[in-house]
Amino acid sequence: MIAKRSSFKIFLAVQNALFLREVNVRFSAGKLGYFWVIFEPLLQIFIFVAVKMMLFGRNSSFDYPVFITLGFVGFNFFRHILDQTMGAFNANKGLYAYKQVKPIDTIVSRVLVEFLVTSIIVFIFVLFGLYFGFDLNVDNLGMLLLSFIWLTFFSVGFGLFTAVVSTFYDSLKKVIKLVLSPLMFVSAVFYSMQDMPQALKDLLYYNPLAHFMELIHANYFTVLNDDFVDYNYMLMWTLIPLYIGLWSYRKLEKRIISL
Amino acid sequence: MIELQNVNKFFVTKAGKKYILKDATFSIPSEKNIGILGRNGTGKSTIMKMLGQIEFPNSGKIVSNKTFSWVMGVGGGFQGNMTGRANVKFVCRIYGKSKEEIEKSINFVKEFSELGDYFDMPIRTYSSGMKSRLTFGLSLAFDFDYLLIDETLSVGDARFRKKSKEALMKKIESCNVLLVSHDMKTLEDICDVGIVVDGGKMQYYENIKDAIAKYAEINKRAG
Repeated sequence: MIAKRSSFKIFLAVQNALFLREVNVRFSAGKLGYFWVIFEPLLQIFIFVAVKMMLFGRNSSFDYPVFITLGFVGFNFFRHILDQTMGAFNANKGLYAYKQVKPIDTIVSRVLVEFLVTSIIVFIFVLFGLYFGFDLNVDNLGMLLLSFIWLTFFSVGFGLFTAVVSTFYDSLKKVIKLVLSPLMFVSAVFYSMQDMPQALKDLLYYNPLAHFMELIHANYFTVLNDDFVDYNYMLMWTLIPLYIGLWSYRKLEKRIISL
Repeated sequence: MIELQNVNKFFVTKAGKKYILKDATFSIPSEKNIGILGRNGTGKSTIMKMLGQIEFPNSGKIVSNKTFSWVMGVGGGFQGNMTGRANVKFVCRIYGKSKEEIEKSINFVKEFSELGDYFDMPIRTYSSGMKSRLTFGLSLAFDFDYLLIDETLSVGDARFRKKSKEALMKKIESCNVLLVSHDMKTLEDICDVGIVVDGGKMQYYENIKDAIAKYAEINKRAG
């Protein structure tokens, strides 16, 4: 007979199954799946560094390639988590045929997979950096990791909120996708806020992601500080979507399953 | 024992609420093989899904201390981009099977379902017959108290139908089955008791033959 298991045990079993499935899907998309997961961000960064070097030359007090790599790792981490959580409910619909699998499980597993992918990418970048002799010194490693964890909660909260709402109002997903494409340019990904004019700073202040990127920069580079960062503003953008997302998920879980 | 306590289930349509169960209080005794009968659209499949806990009553409760399989239906219930093998692995994992057990299940399902090379192809390339062979084979690899079967026995070719019926007959020596079917012969062979769903009500019959007779009467009345 099938033994009765505690709900935590079931959760772990489901996570194990979903995680392995997601890894499989992510790394086997088309031929050379493993290769592209790693190579795509590498190429993206390479192009940006090359363009910047050609246009503006080397004029920073830190290694610009390192700066831009960090920016892209952070931004891609956010974008992928948001993308993955937003689409999680729909992409795994067929699996709700098994009562153990709840929609929110698919979000948890996708975030874990994203952690894995990002860690692999970072590891490869570090190897690259060491080999080519870049300055990889981190100002405050602990705080840097905390910043990434905070960024995870921000991304997941926002993604969960979007996932729940867009189950019933599909347009929201489209709006978010639309906003996401220019977001990179206004989020301090490849520049630092301290180099921006005040008028622009005032404007970009409203973009929560810019605060996260600045926080990450500040914790990595000794020469950069967190003057721009408004921790309360970040907290607001983390807690409110997360709370509304979780609350409405609780209310609507059954409808999402049987949709 | 499966107990329904004041269960309401309806779907909101343009013409208003369409009730599948209206304030149904009902208990189904254990150790019985149960056939569910009803005309198309009366909600048999929805009731199966509620027992499989992937569809939920609008109010009321369904209580049981038994374990139920997933609903083996003709349509859906699969993630199209997974291969048959990946799907078997996935289900084994969510039920917490060990590596060796998974290996055993895979071999069993592969052999039983007779999918051949299709076992390693994405499920979206399967015909509906192949899907039900996979899901049926998979369910045989587990020991549930109840198997939830929604019409799947009536798909596939005659030879496979015969094979799965035999396998099911063997399986129900150690478990029970809840079966939705329009095939009276199958119902009579497999089930002991019957439930007729009609107009938002469930009627329980101690003998499957009485249920079949009632169902015939409903059909006649409806013309």
